[in-house]
Amino acid sequence: MPTDPCILAATPLENYFPVFVLLMMAIGFAFANVVLTRFIGPMRSGRTKDETYESGMTPIGTARKRFNVRFYILAMTFLVFDVEVIFLYPWATTFANIDPSGEQGAVFLGRVLFFMATTVIAYVYGYRKGIFRFD
Amino acid sequence: MLDAVLDRIFPLSPQVFVGIITGVVALNAIVGTIPLLIYFERKISAYIQDRLGPNRVGFDLGLPILQKLFRGFGFWGLGQSAADGLKFVLKEDFTPRGADKFLFSLAPAAAVVPAMIGWAVIPWGGALEVGSIVLGGRELVAAGTVQVMAANINAGFMYLLAIAALGVYGVTLGGWASNNKFSFLGGLRASAGMISYEIPMGLSILVIVLMAGSVRPTSIVEQQIGDGAVWFILAHPLAALLMYTCILAECNRAPFDNAEAEQELVGGFHTEYSAMRFALFFLAEYTHMIAGSAFFVMLFLGGYHLPGVALTTPEETGLLAVLAKFVVFFTKVVLSICFMMLVRWTIPRIRYDQVLKLAWQTLIPVSMVLVVSTSVMVYLGRTLWWQTAVMNLALSLALMVIWPYLPRADVNRRVPLAGSRFSPLPGEAVRTGVSNPVALTDNPMPDKNQGLVSVH
Repeated sequence: MPTDPCILAATPLENYFPVFVLLMMAIGFAFANVVLTRFIGPMRSGRTKDETYESGMTPIGTARKRFNVRFYILAMTFLVFDVEVIFLYPWATTFANIDPSGEQGAVFLGRVLFFMATTVIAYVYGYRKGIFRFD
Repeated sequence: MLDAVLDRIFPLSPQVFVGIITGVVALNAIVGTIPLLIYFERKISAYIQDRLGPNRVGFDLGLPILQKLFRGFGFWGLGQSAADGLKFVLKEDFTPRGADKFLFSLAPAAAVVPAMIGWAVIPWGGALEVGSIVLGGRELVAAGTVQVMAANINAGFMYLLAIAALGVYGVTLGGWASNNKFSFLGGLRASAGMISYEIPMGLSILVIVLMAGSVRPTSIVEQQIGDGAVWFILAHPLAALLMYTCILAECNRAPFDNAEAEQELVGGFHTEYSAMRFALFFLAEYTHMIAGSAFFVMLFLGGYHLPGVALTTPEETGLLAVLAKFVVFFTKVVLSICFMMLVRWTIPRIRYDQVLKLAWQTLIPVSMVLVVSTSVMVYLGRTLWWQTAVMNLALSLALMVIWPYLPRADVNRRVPLAGSRFSPLPGEAVRTGVSNPVALTDNPMPDKNQGLVSVH
């Protein structure tokens, strides 16, 4: 069980500064590569060469087509569960640091079990609707 | 004026100073390790397939004098990755017709940037005691005890999860912008797979957060070290298994690499990419592997700790201890990556709908049950490592027992098109043509007398 008091201490904002440095380095690296590679190496074009490679077939139409709605449903379901997981993190951190076996712990546990039960309902509904079948 | 500005800036917090140094060193170490990892992967795959793998390309660079010097010595093919990298730089940067030019260029950058900053919260080397740095009478860096990691922040796991989720954008944009149907499908598949496996990953990390009561990476590692504490993989084997599976899927590694299934999708979302833009996708994939493995090592394999070695405990804060811890940590990461490669070259790729089914029908329910069980264990105060291990194993056993009784969608079921030749409306008899009775009846040995065929 956690005993370290600094676990709950706030982080000074300046500790994020190295992330900013790394971000600048990464962006610089990525864009330098993307830009420089246009200037090194040959640049030729032609009618056949510019075509997309679709296993050797001449492409028919563009790829900007309608696609299966299941990806959309999947993304929406993902949102439900992802938000739930993110909400659980602060709870988990707090729950382990209060006295979990005491009265407050019971309230904490009961509330989150109710919260997870709502997600289970959503899951069962989705399952009954057949959105996890992917066939 | 200048003094006032300098007074505001200095002395720097030692954590920031060490953090920047660690970040830059680790970034270069990671990018420099990737060619070696590619070499490892090719060698491992070669030995698994009873081949030799790259063993010719050395470092003679085609120069006659070096060729003479290294005669008969190929450096075990170590030059292969360097040659590949050079080739990436010199190749033509191709953009297909009809591609969205801006997004097509943006996608590799969007893939590689999150990969390169995601590991900032990995505690490579534990605590380090630093003295103050004084230059010209001004204290540049204050003295203190710091953590050898790029960003010592208390919301470390949230940061890692958030940045890991950003990796989806590069893949999706790359697939969409190419104007290639195969790329588009590959990008869709990759994004669907990555977001699906994010949920069980978050839930299995939650198990560890419940045990440790913190999302600060350093304290997670420290709680796996000491008397009565064990690595979390022993306390939570099921969570470790879930987590490793999810990391494989997040990195688009086999057996979940349907985004680039060659047999179906050419090259997946990077079919149309060439030169350095392709190399950036490749770099992002391998950096994800390193970051994911480091994450796994930090959560479940004790981070920088080696049992029985006093130098790798948090109490040691010298420079030597930090070096030893870094070596231990990186060795564990490389071993984990080698295990990923073994998995890739031994387990065949599973079908795409099975990938998503595994996430939504198996991993998410199992990890939710695991989270609930763990929180009940915490409530009951049963948090010794063997107690949670028994809980994990009992849960696994219970799942195996009830598995056959769970509802399950049928595989490859027939979707009838009502009114067609194959699925006639009720009471309708269909006269089949003579052209191809095998295809019409689904019957391997068709009746010679064609005519009215009963259609199921």
